Amino acid sequence: MKSSLRFMAIGLGVAALLVVGGTYGASYYYTSQYGQGCASCHEMAAYVGAVHSAPHRTTGCMDCHEASMATKLRHMRIHIFGTVPETIRLRDVDVLAMTSSCQKCHQHEYANWHAGPHSATYSQIFADPAHNSKRILMDDCLRCHGMYFNGSIREVVEPLNMKGPWRVIRSRFADQPAMPCMTCHQMHREGAQETKPASRISVAGAAVPDSLAFYDRRETLHFTAATLSIPQLQDGARVVRVSQDPRQALCYECHAPREPEAGSVAATNAWGPQVGSGDDRTPIGVHEGISCVACHDGHNENTRASCKTCHPQMSNCGIDVEKMDTTFANSNSAHNIHWVKCTDCHQHGIPKVKAVAAVKAKLQTTPGMSGF
Amino acid sequence: MQSSRDGVPLTRRQFVAAGAMGGAALAVGCAGTKQGNWDFLNDPQARTLAAICDQIIPADDFPSASQAGVLTYIDRQLARHYRRHRNAYRDGLEQADAMSRKRFGQDLAALTVPQQLEMVSSIEKENSGFFNLVRSHTLEGYYGAPRHGGNRDAVSWKMLGMAEPPVRGRAQYDQRKSPAS
Repeated sequence: MKSSLRFMAIGLGVAALLVVGGTYGASYYYTSQYGQGCASCHEMAAYVGAVHSAPHRTTGCMDCHEASMATKLRHMRIHIFGTVPETIRLRDVDVLAMTSSCQKCHQHEYANWHAGPHSATYSQIFADPAHNSKRILMDDCLRCHGMYFNGSIREVVEPLNMKGPWRVIRSRFADQPAMPCMTCHQMHREGAQETKPASRISVAGAAVPDSLAFYDRRETLHFTAATLSIPQLQDGARVVRVSQDPRQALCYECHAPREPEAGSVAATNAWGPQVGSGDDRTPIGVHEGISCVACHDGHNENTRASCKTCHPQMSNCGIDVEKMDTTFANSNSAHNIHWVKCTDCHQHGIPKVKAVAAVKAKLQTTPGMSGF
Repeated sequence: MQSSRDGVPLTRRQFVAAGAMGGAALAVGCAGTKQGNWDFLNDPQARTLAAICDQIIPADDFPSASQAGVLTYIDRQLARHYRRHRNAYRDGLEQADAMSRKRFGQDLAALTVPQQLEMVSSIEKENSGFFNLVRSHTLEGYYGAPRHGGNRDAVSWKMLGMAEPPVRGRAQYDQRKSPAS
């Protein structure tokens, strides 16, 4: 009896040693050589191969991916029992954990993103009384907010009515970002590493960052910015000149126009989607044809420094463009910066002669500008 | 397998040795189960299948079947929902290469494009069951949902004029009240 107990104790000890030691040993093996170990498990080979074609090719798997003991044991179970899903995808909790991995190297971008509206949390988005008292939340909300959430809107927030009070059901998600880095960035994809160009001022490299891609919740896939659609828009009957910058195709996935409503003037006349319909902010008027990213910072959407990129300090009218009566200067202005036209202020026509004279006079008095 | 000591089935040393051997066998077994990036196919089979699929949907202004990920689609399904077709693929691909070697002295994947077309036409006549199976699966992979591995970047849907993901705003968020809307 005594020896049986001793044998059982030894057996349990050895088993525990094998599980713990084996798991950590396997971790060391798998994380070595930039993921070649991970690729030796054939389910992972394609995914490791993809990241080896990407700018993150010299980054180890565990530099980005969380690997707790529970995760390792789960992977082991799936591998042994062959219950590998058709497409291997990160779980919602894994995606959120990765955000802090991104931060480790991309601190400036992270800080910018955190300062902007796209870092809004689940709680800010889904438990907002101002929104929820007017509109009932639905699954389609998750297309642009909480796209990585593994579940339906019923599992995000309760109650699903317009009375409230609302709360995020999974409390660990409440203060987590609803639109994490991987909403707009894809890691496992082809792309060249950035290198120092031969010339000092270069036009080498990709015009559109390779990582820019939209995560489509329905397909559980990223679609690269270059493959996304830029809609053709109209302002009434007029076809609007829309920038074909592929980067802004990403914006259109959520800041999207909609088809004209049945019975509207646009629908009756068979016009296309109208500028400013839905959540579209395509510029018309003085800014028509300009890309979103010409004015908006990519991570925090700030436009503070954008005017000076194109404008001289004084407009044709001799007024500082940043002080004009638009939503750039004052968010309560009636003149939305996206749609402002010259005629919004010059309602009786644009006084061309006067404008030219004013600009000339201003240039004469501006130091360094008199030669113009 | 009675031990000479204490009357227990295994000594401690035998037990540890057996565990180590079992672990080693598991490691060797795992390492030897699969090679390459495929779930079911091996690399030569994948090359032959790519040649056949690319004759069914060749590249033009849009990618060919293999460029659009059709092989990934078929391979994943053969490892899952289409397990019943595994033998058909094994035999069909082997037969296709045998036919190719007999006529041109090389595997199907090594032939020129016109020779491949000729061979695939022959397969259609002489092994129509296999050809029809591959054609069905090629079309599924090329035109089906990208989440299943084919139709990479929804390329076939774009070819048909469908935006994917769709650009779809919602009325309640209208930014601008246009007289036209």
